[in-house]
Amino acid sequence: MEYAAPTTVDEARTLLADNPGSRVFAGATDVVPQMRSGRPEPSVLIDLKLIDRLMSVTHDNGHWTIGAAMPTSELTSNGEFTSVFPGISEGAGWIGSDQIQNRSSLGGNLCNGSPAADSVPAMIASEARAVIAGTDGERTIPVADVVTGPGQLSLADGEFVVEFEIDDPPANTGDAYIRMTPRTEMDIAIVGAAVRVTMNGDTCTDARVVLGAVAPTAVRVPDAEAALIGSSLDEAALAEVTAAASAAANPINDKRGTIEYRVQVAGVLAKRAAVLAAERARA
Amino acid sequence: MSVGQSPLRHDAAAKTDGSIEYAGDTVPAGALQAVVVFSGRAHARMLLMSTDSALAVPGVVDIITAADAPVNEYGLTMRDQPALVGVDHTGAAAVDAAVSRWEADQIAVVIAETRAAATAGAAAIEVEWEDLPLVDNIDAALAPKAPLVHPENGLDTNAYHHLRIRKGDPDFGFALAYAVIDEVYEVPHQEHAYLQPEAGTAYIDNEGRVTIEIGGQWTSEDREQVAHVLGLPEDRVRIIYKAIGGAFGGKEDMSIQIALGLAAMRLAERGEHRPIHCRWSREESIVGHHKRHRGRIRIRLGATHDGTITALEADVDLDAGAYNYTSNKVLGNAHVSVAGAYRIPHARIDSRAIYTTTVPGGAFRGFGGPQGHFAIESAVNRLAAELGIDPVEMRLRNALVDGDDGITQTVMPEGVSMREVITACSLQAELDEALPDPEPFSPIASLPSATTSLRRGRGFAAGFKNIGFSFGFPERCEAEIVLNGNPNDETPTSAELFHGGAEVGQGAHLAMRQMASDATGVSLDDVHGHFSDTATSGDPGSASASRLTFMAGNSILGAAEEAEKAWREGDRPARGFFRYTPPPTEALDPETGTGAPNFCYGYMAQCIEVTVDVDTGHIRVDRVTSTHDVGKAINPALVRGQIEGAVVQAHGYAISEDLQLADGFITNPRFSSYLIPGIGDIPLQVDSQILEFADPLGPFGARGVAEMPFITYTPALTAAVHDATGLWFNTFPLTPSRVLGGLQAAEE
Ligand SMILES: Cc1cc2nc3c(=O)[nH]c(=O)nc-3n(C[C@H](O)[C@H](O)[C@H](O)COP(=O)(O)OP(=O)(O)OC[C@H]3O[C@@H](n4cnc5c(N)ncnc54)[C@H](O)[C@@H]3O)c2cc1C
Repeated sequence: MEYAAPTTVDEARTLLADNPGSRVFAGATDVVPQMRSGRPEPSVLIDLKLIDRLMSVTHDNGHWTIGAAMPTSELTSNGEFTSVFPGISEGAGWIGSDQIQNRSSLGGNLCNGSPAADSVPAMIASEARAVIAGTDGERTIPVADVVTGPGQLSLADGEFVVEFEIDDPPANTGDAYIRMTPRTEMDIAIVGAAVRVTMNGDTCTDARVVLGAVAPTAVRVPDAEAALIGSSLDEAALAEVTAAASAAANPINDKRGTIEYRVQVAGVLAKRAAVLAAERARA
Repeated sequence: MSVGQSPLRHDAAAKTDGSIEYAGDTVPAGALQAVVVFSGRAHARMLLMSTDSALAVPGVVDIITAADAPVNEYGLTMRDQPALVGVDHTGAAAVDAAVSRWEADQIAVVIAETRAAATAGAAAIEVEWEDLPLVDNIDAALAPKAPLVHPENGLDTNAYHHLRIRKGDPDFGFALAYAVIDEVYEVPHQEHAYLQPEAGTAYIDNEGRVTIEIGGQWTSEDREQVAHVLGLPEDRVRIIYKAIGGAFGGKEDMSIQIALGLAAMRLAERGEHRPIHCRWSREESIVGHHKRHRGRIRIRLGATHDGTITALEADVDLDAGAYNYTSNKVLGNAHVSVAGAYRIPHARIDSRAIYTTTVPGGAFRGFGGPQGHFAIESAVNRLAAELGIDPVEMRLRNALVDGDDGITQTVMPEGVSMREVITACSLQAELDEALPDPEPFSPIASLPSATTSLRRGRGFAAGFKNIGFSFGFPERCEAEIVLNGNPNDETPTSAELFHGGAEVGQGAHLAMRQMASDATGVSLDDVHGHFSDTATSGDPGSASASRLTFMAGNSILGAAEEAEKAWREGDRPARGFFRYTPPPTEALDPETGTGAPNFCYGYMAQCIEVTVDVDTGHIRVDRVTSTHDVGKAINPALVRGQIEGAVVQAHGYAISEDLQLADGFITNPRFSSYLIPGIGDIPLQVDSQILEFADPLGPFGARGVAEMPFITYTPALTAAVHDATGLWFNTFPLTPSRVLGGLQAAEE
């Protein structure tokens, strides 16, 4: 196994194209444990952290641009970003621990392809886009379209994520991400729920509800969104959100949580995240 | 006076800045590396093993196999385990050494220039196995015609150790009862999860002794077991303990000691004298050492209208796993503690240790007490609820007092303080005041909770734990004290304490120095300890059974007296050696269980307050009141440390730790899936209440404390969850899935 550290996107692109079986990485907080537990080693490990574009966060022209390899601690400690997207910041802030967050990246969290990735549901709720570099240049797709199944991506060989774009939200918008783990920290979500709502007074005018860890990928729950839109998040609407989220959950059984548990709690968390997001939207 | 104070620990600075030397830190220059090879077979007979290709791996120096073991059997209390499973052994063994009975039976030790080479060598060992039928739980082991895990013991059952209690007439007792509960309780495995996995270095010292530097709990016993397999007299083996990163019972049995000892002895015979180092990874540690016993306890308990207990029946089945380790002793303790610290006129108890082809059960803080107490204390809480009696009152009504017979029909050792402890705990916990309204979980947990889904509750449990070894074991502890000074000095200027007792993190060495200081009149700073080396210290007995302060203290008091005699006679330095032996205990009668099993007990009670999120099943413990009669707190800060530490460890046992086995294999041997509590999970508040009712035999009145706060935690917690939700859980850990599942089932 070799190690390479390109300093430009083009250089990285060439390295990937020239070395079959090579692999990019950022914080390596998924890559290293996976190799230790027996996953085959790549031919070349390509470190993305020396490429400036992948390591910065900017805000102009009505959207945010976040480098795919930037440590998530730089995002969660960015006060301006966190005040606009508290839910995304919260999701990134649940990854591992302070030490892990000084390495872990949004690109790695997404491209590892885990259904339980904590930063992904809130990014989807804000309709974030991924800018992808490949042999033929760059293309931009919704974050929701990157992961197609556990560990499966829509990215072609030789492609990698350069950065994420997120549009400024409309006024009176709030988002939230909460998760359930058997242990309160340093644990992997058995259910995650992100909700983003836009309020006009007491009425919800727009809503996105996204669940993590209860299906092969993060999933949007249109029925829950429909229940929220036009409502004042009254009991009846929240009961519909709960039911819709539970219905959308299609989880597996594993050491951390049973199917029945995940289905039930998906509804509970979606409801709680909706209430929290609405509080933030009104604030 | 030093006893009763909390001076700074002498190892505090080095443990804080990392400079202290653990056995895994000190790899001598030029040391060889050893990897212990596990069988990887739950139950199988070895047909063939070839080390030829492994020896050809570059860097591999030698491979130790069963053929190298002069005696191929060992065990702390029964020699039922081969040192190395293999086909070509010639050494004596009472056990069939060709059979692997769990996944971590050791089959070889690969010694190489580097760990990588040793690992590659281990992978190149070729073995042919014939699989034998799995016996991977107690139901399989007890089934008619179940395959026998140890046919060589001549029994026709895997239930190889059976204890009984027959007291009074249980049928009559139950006939007197107004209410009877009859429940089955299931208790899970628990992993010790000590900070420091097994590690050690072996070499031949300059007096020709096979020497092992390691962490353990009982130097002399380690030496005895290693010497037995090596076929050496005990004085040709030396055990030295380095700093020890926790043990909790998990280092009472052998792990890598014998492998290292065999390697050092055989390599030296072949002219290779470099030291040999071995260090287990966390995965190797979790797979490779024993666990707290899982098991099943059926209990029937009856009481009259006013809560007076009339009869008890209990069947205690513990899964001993592949080898006995200390299961027969743990079982004895569960057997006695399943009756609680109560007057019970009529009783039948049958307890069995059962072999299976899974990870052995063994010593772990509480030593059978947590299993027994979970059953009896849950039963008492349930019976109290059924009778509409306050659980504290129910306990006070039945608690043993001085002069009472215990369940084994002999008088309890003097100093029974169960009632005082229960009362003190109930007052400290302010049980007469209503619980305040629930507060949201946020910000600690990841669940900002709607307070509408939160329920509060509190629960109570009480009990006792023996101090010292039981059931007729020849209990002893040795100390030597040397007093220094000039011929005309009236009092010594300094003192040396030689003691084998293990400092496993609990602060024992400081407590011993404090007691030596008071016993000799030499100030604490001038008492110098020389600890845990079989070449310089005597037999301490184990750092277990909450016994070390009690036993070491008495040995130190005796040695100080001897040294003072010599001092008065003019010896400079003045030496005193003492071997303390407490009053003898007795094995229980095989038919009736009559006998005096113990010479001293510590008594405890706990009250736990919880908040349960009924929408997610998440439990938060808000407050723990942990009340202990320790006799005398030699060092109050260390006592509090034991209480808080045990509470946190018990919290993991009760709430989150869930060792999973499939076909005899542990499937979550790492901390990412075996969940010990994090800082955000532990109880928000622990009130340690220390009571000092002097034990008549204890040094300065001291009893012991290390295990007690663990033992009553789970039943107090399940009672609190019942108070909050109306549900009784007869099994744990109370993971969110289990709690919510229970709530849903109750709704349907
Ligand atoms: C102790 C611990 C705790 C953890 N806790 C959590 C948790 O609570 N929640 C959670 O979601 N995760 C958790 N993780 C997993 C991990 O930290 C996160 O998924 C993290 O965001 C991964 O980022 P990284 O930069 O380290 O990824 P890396 O390991 O560098 O990469 C991960 C994967 O993504 C690919 N990749 C990386 N960057 C790109 C890119 N720009 N374009 C295309 N592919 C790319 C890599 O090839 C690899 O397959 C934990 C990990 C550890 C070790």
